[in-house]
Amino acid sequence: MLLKNWFATAVAACAVFAAGTHAAAALTLEQIQAKGVMTVATEDDFRPFEFIQDGKPVGLDNALLDQLRKTAGFKIEQNIIPWSGLLPGVTTGKYDVALTSVVVTPERAKTLDFTMPVADATQYYVVRNGETRIKSVADLAGKVVGVQAGGGSYAALADLSKTLAAHGGQLGKVVQYASFPEAYQDLSNGRLDYVINGVVNLTSLIHEHPDRFRMGTAVGAPTYAAWAVAKGNTTLLRYLNGFLAKTRADGSLYALQRKWLGTTFESMPLSATGGN
Amino acid sequence: MTTSSYLALLQGAGVSLLLALCAVAVGIPLGLLLALARWRRVPVLGRAIAAYVSVMRPTPVVTLCLLVFFVMPAAGLDLPPMAAAALALSLNTTAFNCEIWRAALIALPADQLEAGAAFGFSGWQTLMRIVLPQLWRASLGPLVSEITLLLKITPAASVIGIVDITRAAGRIGADTYDPLPPFLAATVLYTLIIALVVQGQRMLERRAAQRYGYHAS
Repeated sequence: MLLKNWFATAVAACAVFAAGTHAAAALTLEQIQAKGVMTVATEDDFRPFEFIQDGKPVGLDNALLDQLRKTAGFKIEQNIIPWSGLLPGVTTGKYDVALTSVVVTPERAKTLDFTMPVADATQYYVVRNGETRIKSVADLAGKVVGVQAGGGSYAALADLSKTLAAHGGQLGKVVQYASFPEAYQDLSNGRLDYVINGVVNLTSLIHEHPDRFRMGTAVGAPTYAAWAVAKGNTTLLRYLNGFLAKTRADGSLYALQRKWLGTTFESMPLSATGGN
Repeated sequence: MTTSSYLALLQGAGVSLLLALCAVAVGIPLGLLLALARWRRVPVLGRAIAAYVSVMRPTPVVTLCLLVFFVMPAAGLDLPPMAAAALALSLNTTAFNCEIWRAALIALPADQLEAGAAFGFSGWQTLMRIVLPQLWRASLGPLVSEITLLLKITPAASVIGIVDITRAAGRIGADTYDPLPPFLAATVLYTLIIALVVQGQRMLERRAAQRYGYHAS
């Protein structure tokens, strides 16, 4: 869920090309204030960050957007669009902010600037509740793993295999799935030994089936999800970071994380890209 | 599914219909004009139309929507989502309609045109009295097929934020974790719309049969 498919990458590449041929027209903070309107894009099907419930946009990012509206001195126009058009819309300047929890990757950081993280997106492993052989990451050596084809879970295998090599083990058989529900089913019925997915997604899985699955630990490098603006739009980035810092200081970010993600991430770094 | 879900689907149906109608209103007449230009081998224009059709045929409508919405602003054409989607769908269907009209034009017996010339018909008279009356009857079936295809590619516009029937259904499924009911309801909506379109075709065919005394099939 967190990292999207190849199609999005292709579209993003298209947009990079488009942005390269034409100076991005994203508005700076001064221009937004002068115009009185900021245009943001959110996703329409990205539980639990943004989704539509009874025709209304809800989720962590939408809750933060509501809060931003109250403090902003300008109008905020929200466009609810599917993932594939979202980042291209920001790089081409159609939208000023991708107000969605984008997983920060080095690749994406080349074309976008990211705010401070709004959630943790580190890849974790999950096992069956009755699993006795797997107690730590080192025990994953040689076990059958389920991941999503082309997703963040698949990308995390590179990190995991390095970790396993350090312990003298190696990656077992990898099974790729189009989506996670099938992988969870196969984990449940014993075809898989563990599944890798983002920490937020696994938290909600464990929350829904505490009797069936048990949360493991991180298998990938610490990764975060943050909002994105066009590369070089520093004034707007600073403004959004100021807002997010306030939500951390008054604890409202953590309250919203608890409500929508079922957990809180209180020790996230100040920068989503610069490590710790 | 709740009442608001059904309302969202109906709203999506309105959007799908509006987009398809716009594209049909542009695509059928413009496709005819382009086909005539190619058929008469208008210099330069004929070649340009052939190139346009060749580009449109393999271009996915999703790509076309993204190009119109995100890249055209760089060329000075900044359209709102609905207009961009209508333009992308029109570009697509015009190319296919052009080919449908052209096929019927090619099938037209040349001796009819010669007969027209022998009777001293001008080019315009030949077109209005001989070519067009047969052309629309021969093309009606394929054109209606193209309309039904067009209706089913409208979901491509969701990539630029348009909420059509399919996207509305997807959103409901994503909320309830039970995608089957909204997608079944969506299928029923598509079926109803397409049944209406096909009824329209039948009616036109009956009119043609009454007027010209035979079925154009």
